[in-house]
Amino acid sequence: MSTEARSARRAHQFGRLFIYGSLIALAIFYLMPLWVMIVTSLKSLDEIYSGSFIGLPQAITFEAWEKAWGQACIGTACDGLRPYFVNSLLMVIPAVALSTAIGAINGYILTKWRFPGANFVFGLMLFGCFLPFQAVILPMAQLLGSLRLSGTIPGLVLVHTVYGISFTTLFFRNYFITIPDELTRAAQIDGAGFFRIFFSVMLPAALPIIVVSCIWQFTQIWNDFLFGVSFTAGQSSPITVALNNIVNVTMGRKQYNVDMAAAMIAAIPTLVVYIVAGRYFVRGLTAGAVKG
Amino acid sequence: MKLITLLAASISLLPVAAMAESKGTVEGIHHWVSESEVNALKVITDKLASKGYTWQDSAVGGLSGANALQALRTRLAAGNPPTTMQFLGYEGLDWAKEGVLRSLNDLYAKNGWDKALAPQLLVFVKSDDTFISLPINMHRQNWVWANKAVFDKAGIAEPKSWDELIAAGDKLKAAGVVPLAIGDEPWQILEVFEAIVTDVNGTEFYKKAVIDLDEAALSSDQMVDAFDKLRKVRGLVDDGFTGRDWAVATGMVASGKAGMQIMGDWAKGEFLAKGMKPGEDFLCFPTPAATANFKFIIDAFGVFNNDDPAVIAAQDAWAESIMDPEVQKNFNKIKGSIPARSDVSVEDFDACAKRSFADREAAVASGNMVGGLTEGFAAPPQFSGVFSDVVGKFFVTDMSSKDAVQALVDGINNAR
Amino acid sequence: MRSTLSLKDRFSRWLPRLVLSPSLVAIIVGVYLFIAWTGWISLSSSKMVPKYDFVGLEQYIRLWSTPRWETAVANLFVFTVLFLAITIAIGLLIAILLDQQIRAEGFLRAVYLYPMALSFIVTGTAWKWILNPDLGVEKVVNDLGWTGFVFDWITRPEYAIYCVVIAAVWQSTGFAMAIFLAGLRGIDTSIIKAAQIEGASLPRIYLNIIVPMLRPAFLSVIVLLSYISIKSFDLVLALTGGGPGNSTEMPSTFMFSATFRRNQMGVGAASAMMMLMTVAAIIIPYLYSELKEARNEH
Repeated sequence: MSTEARSARRAHQFGRLFIYGSLIALAIFYLMPLWVMIVTSLKSLDEIYSGSFIGLPQAITFEAWEKAWGQACIGTACDGLRPYFVNSLLMVIPAVALSTAIGAINGYILTKWRFPGANFVFGLMLFGCFLPFQAVILPMAQLLGSLRLSGTIPGLVLVHTVYGISFTTLFFRNYFITIPDELTRAAQIDGAGFFRIFFSVMLPAALPIIVVSCIWQFTQIWNDFLFGVSFTAGQSSPITVALNNIVNVTMGRKQYNVDMAAAMIAAIPTLVVYIVAGRYFVRGLTAGAVKG
Repeated sequence: MKLITLLAASISLLPVAAMAESKGTVEGIHHWVSESEVNALKVITDKLASKGYTWQDSAVGGLSGANALQALRTRLAAGNPPTTMQFLGYEGLDWAKEGVLRSLNDLYAKNGWDKALAPQLLVFVKSDDTFISLPINMHRQNWVWANKAVFDKAGIAEPKSWDELIAAGDKLKAAGVVPLAIGDEPWQILEVFEAIVTDVNGTEFYKKAVIDLDEAALSSDQMVDAFDKLRKVRGLVDDGFTGRDWAVATGMVASGKAGMQIMGDWAKGEFLAKGMKPGEDFLCFPTPAATANFKFIIDAFGVFNNDDPAVIAAQDAWAESIMDPEVQKNFNKIKGSIPARSDVSVEDFDACAKRSFADREAAVASGNMVGGLTEGFAAPPQFSGVFSDVVGKFFVTDMSSKDAVQALVDGINNAR
Repeated sequence: MRSTLSLKDRFSRWLPRLVLSPSLVAIIVGVYLFIAWTGWISLSSSKMVPKYDFVGLEQYIRLWSTPRWETAVANLFVFTVLFLAITIAIGLLIAILLDQQIRAEGFLRAVYLYPMALSFIVTGTAWKWILNPDLGVEKVVNDLGWTGFVFDWITRPEYAIYCVVIAAVWQSTGFAMAIFLAGLRGIDTSIIKAAQIEGASLPRIYLNIIVPMLRPAFLSVIVLLSYISIKSFDLVLALTGGGPGNSTEMPSTFMFSATFRRNQMGVGAASAMMMLMTVAAIIIPYLYSELKEARNEH
């Protein structure tokens, strides 16, 4: 073996070591808060209040998890997070489905059925991405009240759908623009109409971006607190509002272990989405979302 | 709108208030979410249930009730108010001015509740000639909580002035104990500051500067002096006070890691929960003042206008449940406060509550009972917010007392 | 020509616009009408509930003479610049490292992405402890023997905003990484090989050839991160509550507390309008140039 080859191999090994070393160091940094949360959720409250915040628990207990799921009190209702978990599912599924569907068809129109002013319309929609939501709460409440949707989950679905359109339209438009127009033209010549082209040409090609849009919308809507607390009440609240009510104690004693367990329970669906769909996420982004 | 019909078709509408088999439902927004608070609330709702009404809980915790207020605001904007809402400070009066609260004059006249309430408290219960809310409890804000063993070991007695308190703190520091347990949240610091302002300068000054927001009083040397004292108190605090919850601070006092804490009487529950006894294991005494004063906070419920006689009947039952002497007694034993009604006996309360009760009587008589600034019983929120901005900033930076006073005056004028 | 169009053709010409119109109506109402409403309120004397009178620019004057607002504006700039720069740098670094045919890539990717899934209402508490000098990193390092180590930024008003940046970077890097990784996967690997044959070192190849090719990914990341940065609300409230001494106040938290805590709805609306104007000043030119380019392509 020549010395040159050997030094090249050594450099390569050194490079690999550097890569893995950096990745692991970064992974530790990213896992640190999760570690704190898990460890805390397995401690008893007395142990925490005696000053043990970050270290390992002396005795592991799953009490906090059971309590967070089924017994923790929100006001006088002591059913834990369970009912609110269901509320959130009832809210997130239609809202994600609707906003993604609308975004898909908007993206299709804005790229394949361009009309004068289409870009302007797209710009109008895109600006909605940057709206500070705190500013629209009161007028939105008035609107929901006049639609008789105040305090209901359908009302919340409507709000999330409206403010989700901006992002989903952006995703789909940037994706569909990469699909050659010849494809739709050919279909048109074959006699396919507006909807037929959408369902049989565009949608089958759009799977990656559908995944991206769903993940983004799911995360945003599931973790939303502001709209939830504004437009629902009591038993129809989504899980973030319930979580806040468990966690955000001002004059009482904070149950840190239950808080942490509750937070992790509330995060499970999004975590699952990220882990299961993570690879499709990157694939979907690769397939076009970043080529805008 | 196509969207809405789609929505309506896709999911069945969930009713806001599911009617159970009862005479009616009382839906309430409140921000009591901790265990003891909820247990206390249950005393009222049990009473309500015994009258045949169902309680529907719409708790919204956090930010000292700001989240709950936001929820209420959107509900009112949507024309869908709850039956009842918990109010702190000026909130009730502000809503009364907007004309959304029901007058409770008939109930007050029938039951004579106002005779059982201290006149200083009526300010927050009555808007002009209309009774608008139902007070359930009274917290006292100006308390010092101390670990008795730590105090004894360092040879410290109950301080009689702020100078003595600061000197005692220095002694504790020398003994290796954190003298004062506190967090860096502005409201925790403001509690200390307003105690200093009142204790050192007297309640008349407090009324002028904080309640009437008199510019001369605000910019006076007494105010500068109060900031100077707060600066000294800052020296009694450890470095780990960032983001510390008040209950964690109380835990430090209970475990002997810290000597004392200045906090309202909700802190008492933390000691009691650990099986500690007032007078034996921990001490409670008012912040040291030349003339004793009493800083109060009340929680009160208001009810919203409604034409439906069934709803009005439910509201009446709710009001009667809150003002029931037995309910007030049992509620406050759990909550750590004293009954809002002055005519409820506190015989079987703990020593701290008894002291609070006696001090209230004296303060009412001498005119030294005033509303606490921190929780919004002295100045409306746009002004109390300025106090907490300036005081909070002063405490964590090396701002001079003069600059702080100037910032206070400017801020108040800007918010007027 | 026009007269020969049948009814069906005319319908099919208008169909796309018809299908688009509900979305457009929703956006016009939900975004622009509500912005107009906010603008109106910002010119009124509204305090606790909306009042529809006119007081001119009084609320804006009040807003700009509030020291807390000035802090909030300064913080937004510091925060946005640092947050974007650091998140992009780390996100790009991780993406490049992950793109080197790494074992357990899926696992590592999940590790970097998971923070996006957690609600800040509670992770804020975990971060509070980690950053607290008496409980977290400083204590752990001191206990390990390095007693001179100090990390107390969160207690110091002039540094606390950097703690907010740390937590925000932690939450969002995964997203930036995913987009960059996607961009890298879209690049033809033969370019790298060709450059390698010519003797260029790997870091140089990335710096000079690959990174410039990621321009679209950069744009997407910048748009999404700016969105996160302007809306950072839960983050600040959970981590510092705006403290110590309002040093970490942000426009969004300022607006919320003015409107919902301090009965200064007019001031809150004025601050919302200021935020919107800032966003518009940055986004509209960007949108304009992007859409113009797109038009040239087609």
